[in-house]
Amino acid sequence: MASKKAFELALSAALTTGGDFAEIFFEDTRRTRMNLIDGKIENFVAGREHGAGVRVYKGLNSVYVHTNDTSEAGMCAAARSAADAIGSIQGGREVHLVQSVIPNLHAFREIPMDIPGASKADLLHAAYAAAKGYSPLVSQVSAGIFDWDADITIANSEGLLVSDRRVYSRIAINAVASENGENQTGSRSPGALRGYELFRDFVNPEEEARKAAESAVTMLKAENCPAGIMPVVIDGGFGGVIFHEACGHSLEATSVAFGNSEFCGKLGEKIASDCVTAIDDGTMANEWGSTNIDDEGNPTTRLVLIENGILKNYMIDRLNSRRMNMPVTGSGRRESYCYAPTSRMRNTFIAAGNDDEAEIIRTMGDGLYAKQMGGGSVNPATGEFNFSVAEGYLVKDGKIDRPVRGATLIGKGGEVLKRIDRVGKKMWMAQGMCGSQSGSVPTNVGQPMIRVTSMTVGGR
Amino acid sequence: MDRQKFIDALFARAKAEGFEAYEAFYSSGEQFNAEVFGGEIVDYSVSESGGLGFRALINGKMGYASTEVLDEDAIDLLIDGVKNGAAVIENDDRQFIFEGSSEYASVDNYSESLAAVSAKDKIQFALDLEKITLSRDERIQRVGGCAILTSSSECAIYNSKGLNVSHKSNLAGGYVVPIAQEGERVNTGMEICVKQEFSDLSAEAIANKAVKQALDGLNAIQPESRTCAIAFDSGAATSMLSVFSSIFSADAAQKGLSLLKGREGEKIAGDAVTIVDDPHLAHSGASTPFDGEGVATYKKNIVENGVLTTLLHNLKTAAKQGVATTANASRGSYAATVGVAPTNFYIVPSETTQDELLAAMNDGILITEVSGLHAGANQISGDFSLLAKGFLIENGKKGAAVEQITVAGNFFTMLNDVVAVASDLDFGMPGSSMFGSPTLWIKSLSVAGK
Repeated sequence: MASKKAFELALSAALTTGGDFAEIFFEDTRRTRMNLIDGKIENFVAGREHGAGVRVYKGLNSVYVHTNDTSEAGMCAAARSAADAIGSIQGGREVHLVQSVIPNLHAFREIPMDIPGASKADLLHAAYAAAKGYSPLVSQVSAGIFDWDADITIANSEGLLVSDRRVYSRIAINAVASENGENQTGSRSPGALRGYELFRDFVNPEEEARKAAESAVTMLKAENCPAGIMPVVIDGGFGGVIFHEACGHSLEATSVAFGNSEFCGKLGEKIASDCVTAIDDGTMANEWGSTNIDDEGNPTTRLVLIENGILKNYMIDRLNSRRMNMPVTGSGRRESYCYAPTSRMRNTFIAAGNDDEAEIIRTMGDGLYAKQMGGGSVNPATGEFNFSVAEGYLVKDGKIDRPVRGATLIGKGGEVLKRIDRVGKKMWMAQGMCGSQSGSVPTNVGQPMIRVTSMTVGGR
Repeated sequence: MDRQKFIDALFARAKAEGFEAYEAFYSSGEQFNAEVFGGEIVDYSVSESGGLGFRALINGKMGYASTEVLDEDAIDLLIDGVKNGAAVIENDDRQFIFEGSSEYASVDNYSESLAAVSAKDKIQFALDLEKITLSRDERIQRVGGCAILTSSSECAIYNSKGLNVSHKSNLAGGYVVPIAQEGERVNTGMEICVKQEFSDLSAEAIANKAVKQALDGLNAIQPESRTCAIAFDSGAATSMLSVFSSIFSADAAQKGLSLLKGREGEKIAGDAVTIVDDPHLAHSGASTPFDGEGVATYKKNIVENGVLTTLLHNLKTAAKQGVATTANASRGSYAATVGVAPTNFYIVPSETTQDELLAAMNDGILITEVSGLHAGANQISGDFSLLAKGFLIENGKKGAAVEQITVAGNFFTMLNDVVAVASDLDFGMPGSSMFGSPTLWIKSLSVAGK
């Protein structure tokens, strides 16, 4: 890693043209991935990513330069190029850093890179066999293990020098079921901010594989989902993607600071039904979206976004805190040194409520029960969102009737939040990769079972 | 360490280890991005980065590893990485390190004049683009994004069989997202334009298209659910082709992940559909004289008048099927393994204008935007159900704008149901593959609304 002196010199170089704040994000990441398909290990690839990004502010102007050359000379050259871009020569100042040490809240035991390839291969074979064994209709299974170990250091002109180490492990299983020239799919992809112990103590790859296969086979037998407006019950876990898309992105300063969110200027106002409390928490031990510090060096926080329907907080990064004149919330995140950070979600979920899950379905009349969600997206300026239902069931007169495929839920975020009339008692989360301005970052979505009184369901 | 010295040292180690064959793939790029908001530069980034992917054939298995640092440690990491990788691979497909083609086409998609454009001129373009956009209509009060981007990239492949090829390209792009507001109604437009020459980018043209889109949608209605004829305009059709392009990969087919497996020579689409893969298309960032394995590229029809002529192959998938490679080996990045991907992949236009096509269609919906493609489209089943915007088509003419609808169907069925294509071929977002399509008229799809 670069020395304290190298960071100090580069930060000073970054401030020679009138910049009022400078920051360096240094990263050294080792990554491996192993894939299996057709019952055979297809590849096992190791890689190393290494570089530094220099950011300079002058008021609300921001410049970002990144480089693979993390020598003192390399970082100073990047810093000078950032300084050149932000202004003309105006003297500058020296920066003195004080190393701070943060406790690690996310313990890891077994470093994934140290695990022999053969052990990982055994695990993938077991998952493959479990999915294949579920049903003769399962025609193909692919499975992969992905892990990375990131050492990061952040230094800034306020004297901060802080490091963090993040070890992630994840398994992804995709099953294809086929019959009569038709394919349907099911997938599972649990992960955590942990070492390889994830697969011994917390996640059972074979069980996950069977669930992926079950979903694919169920959908193969399903009819097309009818289109129309109807009540929708969305199950917990990955169902939380509805809040992530319909509301979460619109509460990020990335949208709010520019007036490009339907929730601008609504702090303290009622934006959701009384039964909705939503939280974005970056501190939960070993969760996929957690970190000790954010990618701007601030401690991560637990942030109540909505409390009993009232909007309480936005997620705010350093640059947008200047724009909004509000404090940072430890929400500055980035995929890697190649990206300037911005406000992003961490572990975002609707908190557990008081409603009985069986009652929620029993009293819904005719509608759709979305058991497994796929992904989605949102246009924060208009609130228009969409997301796909990976495994759905039609409900008739309060009873689950039959599986349906190809359903999509659409709507506008502000409207759907007000139409949530039931929130179940048991909350759980699931893992995703969220893509936005600062790249793709690990985030958890979550919720208990919820019910929306009416939504547009796309189908055919 | 200097790149050439690093590769020499790496190859010397690989030889000493007794690897059967080995290859270094180096790629690097420079990106410039300036985003403006309210007449100020709010985001400005300049980057230069690169990395090296190394692969080696050991006991018939291909091990891969990559690094962004070129130092002594990295040589150990690469050598150990390919050994560890090759040791666990069970797939027994024949693997290739290619010695080189006898001839490569000359592909010129690098502009010296673009490389010489100053940062100041680029920033001025973005400032002008925002200003023009805001001046077009009083209902456009702000933008949700306005930026200029330029990028150049270079890649080179060297291997132990004597291959030594390299290519560089660059391009410039501008985009704007105007936000239109009237009372409580808000609607956004979006237009992105990519050119080889900076001087060919027109802020006026980008602003006009984006503003029209934002304003058109302000009065949009949610129509009743229906099953009807659908036209996808060039942009929406390009999005569909792009998201489903993996069905044309022989790699996907051989793994049972594409329903086009074994269907070469069969009718898979309407007569009006001819799809081309052209790696030599002028001024495209996806054009290249050689593919990810160093094989000379060439132009070919993938679908001809509705008949599937070939899937896209690399050396491995071609050998497995006993055919010649179509030179579509991909290297997504230096960290990626060799896969299969199109280059410039597009549906060939007809002579019919979009107006004429809509007049013939008479009744239905013209889709101008589809969202949520990463979630609502499944390449393995072909099913899609997507949030969409567009216009009602009544008596052959554009009627009311529509929003909050989904359009749903199956891509394989939809290919067969293409009635006609228009003349307005245009390409989508730049990338290592580029996709293009004219307006497509589809016999029937399901639309969910009220």
